[in-house]
Amino acid sequence: MSIPAASFSIPNGVDTFDPADQLAARLRTDYANRITGELVMPATSGRYRPLPATLDPRLTDALHSRGIDQLYTHQAAAWESVQAAQNTVIVTPTASGKTLCYNLPVLQAALQDRAKALYLFPTKALAQDQVAELTALNETVSLGVRAFTFDGDTPGDARKAVRTRGDIVVTNPDMLHQGILPHHTKWAQFFETLRFVVIDEMHTYRGVFGSHVANVLRRLQRICRFYGSDPLFILCSATIANPAELAGELINRDVFAITESGAPQGAKHLLLWNPPVVNADLGIRASARSQTTRITKLAVKNGLKSIVFAQSRLMVEVLTKYLKDAFDHDPRYPARVAAYRGGYLPTERRAMEKQLRQGQLDCVVSTSALELGVDIGALDLCVLNGYPGTIAGTWQRLGRAGRRQRTAVGVLIASSLPLDQYIIRNPDFFLGASPEQARIDPDQLLILLDHIRCAAFELPFNEGEAFGKQQLVEMLAYLEEHGIVHREGKQWHWMADSYPANSVSLRSVAEGNFVVIDATAGAKSVIAEVDYSSAPMTIYPGAIYMIQSAPYQVERLDWEGRKAFVSRTRADYYTDAIDYTRLKILERFDEERPAQHAVAQGEVHLVKRFVGYKKIRYYSHENVGYGKINLPDQEMHTTAVWWQLNPLALNEVFCSRQAALDGFLGAGYALHIVAAMRMLSEPRDIGRAVGDGDAKWFATVGTNGRGQLRDTTGEALDPVQLIHFTPTLFLYDNYPGGIGITAPLYESRTAIVADAQLLVSDCECAQGCPSCIGPILASDEVRGYSPKQVALQLIALISTHES
Amino acid sequence: MNLKSRLARLQTQAGSELTSPTPSNLRNRLTKIKTTRLHRQRITPCCSMSDATLADKVHGKLIAEGVIQIQKRIPLSRKLGKIELAGLQKQPHLPGETAVQSQRHVYIDTETTGLSGGSGTLAFLVGMAVLDETAILLTQFLITRFAAETFMLTVFAQSLTGDDRLVSYNGKSYDLPLLVTRYRMHSLSHPLEQLPHVDLLHPTRRLFRRQWPDCRLTTLEKNLLGFKRRNDLPGAEAPAAWFSYIRRGQGKNLIKVVTHNQQDILSLAAAHTRLSQAIEQPQRYQADCCAIARWLSETDEQGARQLLARSSASLSDDAKRLQAQLARRHGDWSQAIEIWQALAVRGCSDSVERLAKYHEHINKDLHVAKHYCEQLPEGAAQSLRLQRLNEKMHQQAIQPCVDDAISI
Repeated sequence: MSIPAASFSIPNGVDTFDPADQLAARLRTDYANRITGELVMPATSGRYRPLPATLDPRLTDALHSRGIDQLYTHQAAAWESVQAAQNTVIVTPTASGKTLCYNLPVLQAALQDRAKALYLFPTKALAQDQVAELTALNETVSLGVRAFTFDGDTPGDARKAVRTRGDIVVTNPDMLHQGILPHHTKWAQFFETLRFVVIDEMHTYRGVFGSHVANVLRRLQRICRFYGSDPLFILCSATIANPAELAGELINRDVFAITESGAPQGAKHLLLWNPPVVNADLGIRASARSQTTRITKLAVKNGLKSIVFAQSRLMVEVLTKYLKDAFDHDPRYPARVAAYRGGYLPTERRAMEKQLRQGQLDCVVSTSALELGVDIGALDLCVLNGYPGTIAGTWQRLGRAGRRQRTAVGVLIASSLPLDQYIIRNPDFFLGASPEQARIDPDQLLILLDHIRCAAFELPFNEGEAFGKQQLVEMLAYLEEHGIVHREGKQWHWMADSYPANSVSLRSVAEGNFVVIDATAGAKSVIAEVDYSSAPMTIYPGAIYMIQSAPYQVERLDWEGRKAFVSRTRADYYTDAIDYTRLKILERFDEERPAQHAVAQGEVHLVKRFVGYKKIRYYSHENVGYGKINLPDQEMHTTAVWWQLNPLALNEVFCSRQAALDGFLGAGYALHIVAAMRMLSEPRDIGRAVGDGDAKWFATVGTNGRGQLRDTTGEALDPVQLIHFTPTLFLYDNYPGGIGITAPLYESRTAIVADAQLLVSDCECAQGCPSCIGPILASDEVRGYSPKQVALQLIALISTHES
Repeated sequence: MNLKSRLARLQTQAGSELTSPTPSNLRNRLTKIKTTRLHRQRITPCCSMSDATLADKVHGKLIAEGVIQIQKRIPLSRKLGKIELAGLQKQPHLPGETAVQSQRHVYIDTETTGLSGGSGTLAFLVGMAVLDETAILLTQFLITRFAAETFMLTVFAQSLTGDDRLVSYNGKSYDLPLLVTRYRMHSLSHPLEQLPHVDLLHPTRRLFRRQWPDCRLTTLEKNLLGFKRRNDLPGAEAPAAWFSYIRRGQGKNLIKVVTHNQQDILSLAAAHTRLSQAIEQPQRYQADCCAIARWLSETDEQGARQLLARSSASLSDDAKRLQAQLARRHGDWSQAIEIWQALAVRGCSDSVERLAKYHEHINKDLHVAKHYCEQLPEGAAQSLRLQRLNEKMHQQAIQPCVDDAISI
């Protein structure tokens, strides 16, 4: 779905019997006070151009036989751009025929010159879809162009045929990184005649993953130079603000962008939905979860095929359970509701995609895993349980409904998180805002260093060669010092008995996935995988780990062996981990010291300890117990921006140290939210913490709703007992080494503090609520001061500028 | 020792001129962020060895900068373990190979910088051996710098001819692909992929997989050639040995690698002879007679039957089944039935089934067929067969009546 040019409007009545229109009308009349904004995008008709005259006649025939007699305008524009030898990026909605944009020039070159093409998709599923489509096109007129997937599932005896006989090889960045580039000599023939590299779903290559992929593409280009080829890049993307810029950073060349779609579109309704207030005093609203289940149940009962997106794997499982309780209670009938998320085994996911395509399922609950273009057929309703965190992400998910030019309904349900509340109360902001910039940092030191290792393994580095924007010679000298490369004359050679690509994961800065092993009744089968960084919060011993909403309890975690042993259980609760985070300032890159505070950016060392978990009962969501977690501390070096107060100002303004601490925690909550919005990043990319900056103590919100100091062992401290009390508020880059968020954050510090002030002061609550400074307990009246007031005081102190 | 002088020393060793690397901000940052993943090499001071000294110690000569050629002549009058090398004069040949007299056997083995494959792994030592009337002529090329690889690859390719047959141990999946990669990395042409190639690992596996714990070359030496290496550097330590020479001029282990490679090649030649003998006389070498017969039967069924007949006293049940199968294929039913009956008594259901089939279809004695059929394990297959037999017997029983009716 593209960003609408239309402003939002309330249509009069319903003049259609389309079930989706009817659902929208019913929601609108029954729940008018929950709908804060609505957008109706009317159906648009297509704009066309004739097939290019230069198109190979065999290709023209193939198109005719599939009923294609003309092109959409964007397809024609892509053809012209590629024929003019420009690297090209195409940004158009789902189901707008973007695959033809790259298939046409690729097939033309394959037919006329037997030139080769490499297709990159972020997942195996998408790669398989693509080969199926190429094969279908090929079969109609038997073009004789051979397209193969090459990934971890390709059997060993078929690999040689793919390498030598494939005209189009379809793979994913991980396979290119680990399976193809390190073995490039086996692909010599392929690289020598490689004419096109196609990169679909380009918008997924952002953040850490994108930074890795940019480096994999640097390696690809280096190998192509070795074999004397210089392929052209064709990229496709869902809507982001800066497609040409991202494409340019990924491939290190200038890229021409095509952003106008000529494809027709079905009508779409989008409702912005705020759950009703259930406790006005505390500013507590009904949960997004309850609204999501209600709307989805209504839709499924009315025969609408629905998709629900949740923000976490846990929420996917919880929602699936509730919907299954409603629709799948009779085991004699096939399931109507399914969960889809990362961590399931590939075969399971393929089977589910097939069921969806064939319409055997009525409802699927998913994480962002289904956001990509996996073909799952026609869907009528898309419910977003919580704001996905980015505008682009929201439109991508909403785009999953209504692919086949039918009316579709999207409902965005706000959670109590401040960002959600901000969006839902300011529909103009959301509907009018441009989508985010996709940011990558290919020269992030750790990522770059990893790929310099991989590149050195592939071909020796020559003096004068460049790889990335850091000083290559220094990076190589560092690797030489660690005995990984060896300088000889004007070359650096790989010199270690290892295969570096295997130890570099493109999806994370940390390493090593965990496997989840079902050990019920002595069995031993792998049922899921969990990535390293989420392992400590999901598969600690005692955790309830859910698969298709069936609960498993983690019995044992083999941290070194990266294995979690689980067994089936009948628990009626789920578990949620509690973590303590301590930061130590290592180095200040930049600092400013106005009269009452100091603000700085620099490097920090962070230690995260998962201390325990809460058991939360289904439906009632009451806390039914605690458990301890005993895992190694997670350490990371990263970058941060932090604020500290002048001790005199602190004593003068706050009535007590406890009040100051609550001020820091409340202000941190608000600042985190506005920073994520300003930086146009996902909230999880930024972390926040309050501590002393020396990792001696840190503060969390305790069970009593107040700030609680804890020392390095996690024991409670009384702030009055401290000799030095210098609370520090950190916003940190949540990736090892940092992924480039904190420098722009520091630059816009003034605006962020001003935004936070507005967010808190404009909030309608009395003493604070989840939409501004974080949840407040009923007992807070006995504090003697308003948590909201102290947060505002703190914000005022750090926004003063007179020096 | 500080970084600067260490770098300087390494660079001098590598033969490059001195540059002055300054400990930089970038390096400091890297050191700080990367806490766990790389381990700094401990470099112990030692006296560094020159290429000339190394060449001397391995009894070789420098034929180009960084390339040492080692040549050895091992008279065929010698023994290796229990093997008379003289046996090599009669060209050994294995089942399925077409013996071409003019073809020269070239025994090859490489030592590499890693075991994981991929374009970052190279062969720093290539060893080969050929025979003349009186001796094994062994040639090795050892490089002592990366830049020398092109020269070594060229010389090695030149020492092969179009009439050669390569003989290796695991070379099909390891040494050859790796060498092919190296030729491609240097854009050099090579004859390797055109030459016929015998990988002795495969026959060894066929003959001894069931007999030995594994089929590594050292196991073969112990069990088939009758010796155990002393003071040998395990192959897995070869990469480190080369790296220490390149980095620090420590040649002690590299010298051992050269000896290790020579031993590998000699064992390879001896194994070739011994394997062809084991095929003739499996019992003598405790080889898997059944596997050999099965292998022979692919090209030479007569030979396979003769081998089984020669060894009939000590055949395993599998071998007997094969023998019966070959007999049946040659129409020797009486031998086949004799074997099956002997096996059936011992509870071999495959033989029972074959007897049931024989009596049903060939001998057409349905009662005997039923007798065997009833001994088969219960299941769908058995009940189908029984049902069919019963129907046939029923038909046979009523057949005369029908005939009678017609005659009336």
